[in-house]
Amino acid sequence: MVMAYPMGYAIWLSMQEVSFFGGFRTSFVGIENYREALYSDNFWWSVRVTVQFVLVSVVLAMLIGLGLALLMHHVRRGRALLGAIIILPWSISLYGAGVMWQYLARGQSGVASSLINRMLGRTTPDTAVEYSLISSEQIVNLLALGNAWNLAPLVAFFLLANLKTIPERLYDLARVDRLNVWQRFLIVTLPPLQYTLFVFTTITLIMSMKLLDFIFVMSAGGPGDASATLTFRLFDLAFRQSNYGLSAAMSFYLLFLIIGSALALFFFWGRRLEDT
Amino acid sequence: MRRTSLSLGLAALVAVIWTLLPIYWILKTAFIAPVDAVAFPAPLWPSNPHFAAAHNIFGFGYTDADGREFLPAGQSKQVINGLKNSVIVAFFVTVITLLIIVPLSYAFARFEFRGKTALLMTILFSVAVPPVSTLIPFFILFIKLGLTGTTLGLIIINLTITVPFITWMLIGYFRNLPAVEPLARVDGFSRLSTLIFIVIPMARSGIAVAAIVSFLFAWNEFVFATQLVNGTPAATLPTAVSGFLFLQPQPGLLSASLWISIIPAALVAYFLQRHIAEMNLVEPVK
Repeated sequence: MVMAYPMGYAIWLSMQEVSFFGGFRTSFVGIENYREALYSDNFWWSVRVTVQFVLVSVVLAMLIGLGLALLMHHVRRGRALLGAIIILPWSISLYGAGVMWQYLARGQSGVASSLINRMLGRTTPDTAVEYSLISSEQIVNLLALGNAWNLAPLVAFFLLANLKTIPERLYDLARVDRLNVWQRFLIVTLPPLQYTLFVFTTITLIMSMKLLDFIFVMSAGGPGDASATLTFRLFDLAFRQSNYGLSAAMSFYLLFLIIGSALALFFFWGRRLEDT
Repeated sequence: MRRTSLSLGLAALVAVIWTLLPIYWILKTAFIAPVDAVAFPAPLWPSNPHFAAAHNIFGFGYTDADGREFLPAGQSKQVINGLKNSVIVAFFVTVITLLIIVPLSYAFARFEFRGKTALLMTILFSVAVPPVSTLIPFFILFIKLGLTGTTLGLIIINLTITVPFITWMLIGYFRNLPAVEPLARVDGFSRLSTLIFIVIPMARSGIAVAAIVSFLFAWNEFVFATQLVNGTPAATLPTAVSGFLFLQPQPGLLSASLWISIIPAALVAYFLQRHIAEMNLVEPVK
């Protein structure tokens, strides 16, 4: 409905060559932009960065979310306070989270420099050494960690709501069967959580693929283009290089990637859940 | 038993540090004197609390104990104006989103009608579309309609994202509510009054979660806001804060402006976590 116009416009735009000399002009180039994207190394590099970023983000967000949910489920005293603290990262905007993680990780203002130098007793500026957590090898993983920090609380709270529906009786039976903690987790706790886990794996997958603000603020695609995900590349092409046509064409590849991976997840995981 | 509670306590400690460290690390800067805030290595905590940034951000000057004067931040007007705009945008987005999505997701969950699957697919599709790819078309459309730099334009943009996302979230929730419609009909309720007097009170946890999610979304929206309203009187708080991002010598002011943007969101999130625990998205195990 409201999406139809922008999508239609984007399709039209992706087939145009936009030029700004002597006013805004466009000329029809057909699938030229789509072909140009496929032949560009930058595009494939961004695909690689996106895939790595999304995989690490989703795995971390789900594991941390599950861990936080189990913790909140088992804690007896101070649960309300713990819940109020754990939800915090989710309420923080992605640009805010970007600023925070940048401050935390950078050598100049970062927590690593501060702690290590203090432990070694080097507290004056001329003796202290910079330890930066930002490097071109690790930046994508660091971004994914920050993204997981932001997403995990939501996963945790929906899993917690689900954990509460598991009847206590099942745990009594597990005690009768003398299951150890790990077996009890695998056999009693995990199966009823499967559907929520599937839904939130899909949600975190889609949200991570669409993510721009956090990356834009924290690393701006850098160092170099080490963390230039597809979303950042699109933004850069459109708003810095004014290459609207190529950016629109690439945005459709991104859209295919998002829908494709969500569907794949459904076929390999979600459909099996509906059968059982 | 002793051992499990000890390890639980340890796990809770790890979780709290993991959650709070990034927030703490920037927020402490607001209470550190500007000279110390840029010191290297960075201080671990504000050993001499200093309130210059907290005053300057609201446009007040500040003189500290040593007689040093700190002038009001040049951007304080933008921050206060941004705060006002953010409240307006977030309020209208939340209200309009609720007015649209409650009937919509209820209809999806309970009624069969022609084109339902197609409409559902459209909603799922809109959830999947990345904002970056609709940014340019919206930008060009808004220039034509004269909506750039207006609060109205920003509200419309936010709705294009909150409505599909939250409808998608709530369909499953409405589907799991007990089927009270036949009973209500026996008691003489029309369809509309069933929705208003029976279903909505029953679904209040889910609706509260939806309201909070859309509020937080509108409050925190950054990508569209930087392109559409940045530098205009309609600029929201996130864009005003981003004005400090590249002002390295004054991290205190950046930190103080983040305080302003985080406090309302944190309060709202506090209510969110209490409601999520009460709503049940999946069917209980039988």
